[in-house]
Amino acid sequence: MFQLAFDSPWYLLLLTALPFLWWASFRTLSGMGRVRRVVAIGLRSLIFVLLVCALAEVQLVRVSQRLTVLYLLDQSLSVSQPQTDAMIRYINESIRTQRDRARQDRAGVLVFGREGAIEIPPLDEAQQMARVETIVDREHTNLAGALKLAQASFPHDTAKRIVIITDGNQNIGDALEQARALADAGIGIDVVPIRSLAQGEVAVEKLMIPADLRRGQPFDLRVVLNNTAAEGQATAPVDGRLQVVRKAGGREQVLTDQEISLEPGKRVFSVREELNLPDFYTYEARFIPKNAQDDTLPQNNQASAFTHVRGSGQVLVIEDHENKGEFDFMVGRLRAMNLEVTLRSTAPEELFSDLAQLQPFDTVLMANVPREQFSDEQVEMLVRNTQHMGSGLVMLGGPNSFGAGGWTNTPIEEAMPVDFQIKNAKVKPVGALAMLMHASELAQGNYWQTLVARESLKTLGDEDYCGLVHWGMREEWLWRGMLRVGPNRKQMLAMLDRMTPGDMPDFDSSMKMARAEFAKLPDAAVKHMIIISDGDPSPPDFGSGGAIAGLKKLGVKISTVAIGTHGPPGSTPLKQIATMTGGKYYVVTNSNTLPRIYQKEARRVARPLVFERDAGFQPQIRHPHEMTQGIETQLPPITGFVLTTPKKNPLVEISLVSPIPTGNEVNPILVSWTYGLGKAAVFTTDAGKRWATAWTAWQNYDKLFSQIVRWSMRPTGETGNFTVATDVQDGKVKVVVTALDKDDEFLNFLNLSSTVVGPDMKPIALDIKQTAPGRYIGQFDAKGTGSYMLMVSPGPGRAPIRSGVSIPYSDEFRERETNEALLSSLAQTVPKQGAVGKLIDASPKLDGPDRVAKLLGTNTFRHDLEAATSSQAIWHLLVLAASCLFFFDVFIRRVTINFDWVPPLAVKVRDRLLGRESRPDVAVTMERLRSRKAEVSDQLEQKRAALRFEPTAEAQGDLDTLREELATSAASAAKSSKKATSLTPEQDADSYTTRLLKAKQKARTDMKKDNPNEPPGSI
Amino acid sequence: MDSELIQRRSLLKMLLGTPALLALGGCEETASTGRLKAVWGRAGTFPGGLNKPRAMTIDQDDLIYIVDITARIQVFTTAGKFVRGWQTPVHTNGRPTGMSIDHRGNLLVADTHYFRVLTYSPTGELLDTLGGTCGNGPGEFGFLTDIVEDSQGNWYVSEYGEYDRIQKLSPSRQFLLEWGGHGSEPTQFARPQSMAIDKHDQIWVADACNHRIQVFDTSGRLLKLWGTHGEMPGELAYPYGLTLDDSDHVFVSEFGNHRVQKFTLDGRSLGCWGTHGRAPGEVQNPWAVVRDSHNDIYVLDTGNHRVQCIQL
Repeated sequence: MFQLAFDSPWYLLLLTALPFLWWASFRTLSGMGRVRRVVAIGLRSLIFVLLVCALAEVQLVRVSQRLTVLYLLDQSLSVSQPQTDAMIRYINESIRTQRDRARQDRAGVLVFGREGAIEIPPLDEAQQMARVETIVDREHTNLAGALKLAQASFPHDTAKRIVIITDGNQNIGDALEQARALADAGIGIDVVPIRSLAQGEVAVEKLMIPADLRRGQPFDLRVVLNNTAAEGQATAPVDGRLQVVRKAGGREQVLTDQEISLEPGKRVFSVREELNLPDFYTYEARFIPKNAQDDTLPQNNQASAFTHVRGSGQVLVIEDHENKGEFDFMVGRLRAMNLEVTLRSTAPEELFSDLAQLQPFDTVLMANVPREQFSDEQVEMLVRNTQHMGSGLVMLGGPNSFGAGGWTNTPIEEAMPVDFQIKNAKVKPVGALAMLMHASELAQGNYWQTLVARESLKTLGDEDYCGLVHWGMREEWLWRGMLRVGPNRKQMLAMLDRMTPGDMPDFDSSMKMARAEFAKLPDAAVKHMIIISDGDPSPPDFGSGGAIAGLKKLGVKISTVAIGTHGPPGSTPLKQIATMTGGKYYVVTNSNTLPRIYQKEARRVARPLVFERDAGFQPQIRHPHEMTQGIETQLPPITGFVLTTPKKNPLVEISLVSPIPTGNEVNPILVSWTYGLGKAAVFTTDAGKRWATAWTAWQNYDKLFSQIVRWSMRPTGETGNFTVATDVQDGKVKVVVTALDKDDEFLNFLNLSSTVVGPDMKPIALDIKQTAPGRYIGQFDAKGTGSYMLMVSPGPGRAPIRSGVSIPYSDEFRERETNEALLSSLAQTVPKQGAVGKLIDASPKLDGPDRVAKLLGTNTFRHDLEAATSSQAIWHLLVLAASCLFFFDVFIRRVTINFDWVPPLAVKVRDRLLGRESRPDVAVTMERLRSRKAEVSDQLEQKRAALRFEPTAEAQGDLDTLREELATSAASAAKSSKKATSLTPEQDADSYTTRLLKAKQKARTDMKKDNPNEPPGSI
Repeated sequence: MDSELIQRRSLLKMLLGTPALLALGGCEETASTGRLKAVWGRAGTFPGGLNKPRAMTIDQDDLIYIVDITARIQVFTTAGKFVRGWQTPVHTNGRPTGMSIDHRGNLLVADTHYFRVLTYSPTGELLDTLGGTCGNGPGEFGFLTDIVEDSQGNWYVSEYGEYDRIQKLSPSRQFLLEWGGHGSEPTQFARPQSMAIDKHDQIWVADACNHRIQVFDTSGRLLKLWGTHGEMPGELAYPYGLTLDDSDHVFVSEFGNHRVQKFTLDGRSLGCWGTHGRAPGEVQNPWAVVRDSHNDIYVLDTGNHRVQCIQL
């Protein structure tokens, strides 16, 4: 069904000028025949109407009776799997039984948690869901975002309804506000509440540290527990144990471990505590129910809190767990210099996992540790700990450091005063890495293969070569063979995003391709290949003429990664490939380890970044610095270091350099700069184990290393009594700072600056303002679970104070009852020109099929909404039509069309059709002649009328003569017309006039003859 | 100057070569020998949906059995109507890659990554399980690829991985003999992906990674061997599936060339159908091909999660 609509209807008033047009046209076209005049005026009128409609911006509107229903299914953690399964059944049945196929209704499904995602796009052909395939972040409920996505997902040419299936416990966004926007857009909303039978639940709501905590003064830690009783068990207490633990200085101490009995409702427990030593303290409270059935959700049974008592600085040294003891000498010397040093290895059980665990330390030394031993998150924590929390960060050299350690293109490189790649070097260290992807059957195989390829690419330097073979249409390079990474890195990363490796039947062809490309790279010092396989490839040719032998001949080492997709991990062919070529064979059961393996393997290519000379060479002091203060200019020789390039930044200070290799502008040994709120330094040779062995006996060893460490440390001190307390309420963290001086007098009008780092390692804005004498308050949003670390700087000359707050579990575990108010409000939203939505509900006591049947009692495909319209601007078509009509208007006025030929033709056609015999041509010819004769007679008569004159009495005598002449002429004319109708009228007129003049002259001559005295000139 | 000469030569070669190529004919030309009759199947895990289907077979009632990467065995009519479906007992390690129908009408499934053969009734009832232990001894299996039964009730089981071979089992499922081995020599295999048995009880093997077809008699004696690696008509790239008709034709689905090729029994190409792509008439990595009682050919278009019916 189509309609017309106008965007600027006021222009339609111009149509009132139509009568004037008709009046004016009627006059100006008066010389035309009646029919032509009517047609011309009609055309003009039509042109005018079309132009007015075009001015009014006419739209062609199509009205559709189709309906699209989108089901929004809550997938947050507050919705259990059985509930989800029941709702999937409901959706399937609803689509199957209620969708109007004749009307071509559409149905789609969106799922949502923190964000929405389309599970089934709105289709004519209804699909049935077996399970939810889309993965969303389930730790939050963002109904508003899902509604917005649903609005954007509707097809434009149908009526629209959303069926929200949720418990309504949103913790991001405002769904009601979004629902109002949907109603304005004419989108109807039905709501199906997800309900569950209430069960017993105990939650540790919070662990509170008092705001006025002072060193040496006892205080109460308070733990808030909430017991939500099960339905029908209102009086039953829950028994269990409450534990409160303090963590500080790498030690864990249990403050209390008591049996408690929790009555329904909230209850607060206090634990007496006193802090005497400066440190960063973490408290954890846990509730362990005696009977697990009394507590539905174990996720919300613990909470934690942080506090900080300032003291002297502490140092964290992180060493490689595979080379333990490498830095023992240095650590010992630092301790001898009265520094509190903690030595930890990169072993997972020792390494930090949270930013809070780095807070006790004022500087972190990364002592020859490779990149792959840290997760991305840990790398990010180290950097943010310096940038936002003001800690120091020092990277000490060794073959596993800097670019040689795979740290190229990582956030650590950004934080350091040097780039980990060589620029403008005469000796260009070049490596070549080829990757072969054969893991399409791995769960999320595409994701993992893209990820490991990205990690490898990041590890490679600009001068290195990289190639990737996969199965696309056939075995093929993702980009054209082995290319230099530097100029192609961005394109390579972009192509990786589009990579979809298929199931490669065998390795042989791919390995032959790799062999051909490696053979083209004679300048590559290190050639390496990594194969990942899901374990069922057809083995390559291991013979002497095969691809493996060819690669080995070129010096290519192949490491293989067998991921246990097809049963127990391990593959004899893969192991054989690695063994034959000198590579490493990995057996992987957990995909999470893949990035580290690839980082480690790709690092083999970066080996040329290590510069070594057994003869040794002496570093030189380039510029004096606080770190090299008091150190003599003659330094002991070293035998190696890792090549780096100082950043082009005025903050970078180069203290020690190496004289070789020549060709580089500078070969940094000790470089420093300020990064964010902290300081960062690099020492590219080692601390005495491998390259700087001559330094261990050097008298300035202790001085140099202790000065490097002290320079990098965060300022410490105990001036003033500052306390920072935090409290979490409704997703917001309130920060209260109490400022007292050493005499316990309030410190007022301080300009406190603060930094907060969230669990995602991103900074959060925090504005702290004074609200009372010595009291300063700020607030920020806590949008996710995890630790929020904050640092408050009291001002110049005062050491910063650190604190933190922990959000131990998602709000999804906090709100458990269905949000009736929100769901009712959503259902009561009235869409524009549509009927109010419905709350489709059934008792949670009904079991699955009965509940679904009850819910199906309401038809979600009922069409009580505004019919969808789709409009299309057609003004340009009207202008085109008016232009065409204008041509016809001109045509009709300027061109006369003779239709005389139509009747004979019609007669002929009629005769032909009726089978009649046509009249003889002669008759037709005669008829035509008669007609022509009459026509010519008319013409003559008109001419006669034009030339007629009235004779005077004197001329009467001539009239007879003239009549005779005229009669003769007429007869002659009639004769000539019969003779040849082709003569032109002008010729006829001339002969006739000539004859007339001759007759006149003759008459005069005759009159003169009769009356010789009459004067000339009179007739 | 030299380079200019070389370019001219190349151009001349190209000009001379083009008519020759046209005369020879290519897949584009021979594709006209095939006619697309129907396309059915849609990606999805819902009943009737296909997710990277891996193997296909057809029974005497023209019901098509398809197993996909979710290890669901689904039964369709030749028009693509979903009839029924079930799932293999376990599929964590991997999914079956070969299926056939025995003479009792039961479905034989090569449960590749569990090293066993499953026997199902047409309705999906698991009747028997053979094997289950990885090994290269007699009667043990590696990665099974396919299983066929001859007129005497003997089974021929192909496998790949570390042991590329075919084992013959008696009707009582006792080991009788084996042949093959990993390699590219005649009688050796590199991933014998599928088999078909003809009216003379000859075993046709799609030797996928050797890009060839080998034919054996029931005692493992090599009767025929043809096929070379390439893209031109008559050449093969990873033949994954094959079937024969009653007029002495062999139809081979090529995983690497994204097409189905029709051969005489001696390996002379009679035409090919399909190019790489997603549109109807285009295929992506076809794994299997079967023929119904009306001589219509069904191609398992794995990459596009569908089946295409053609006449070739």
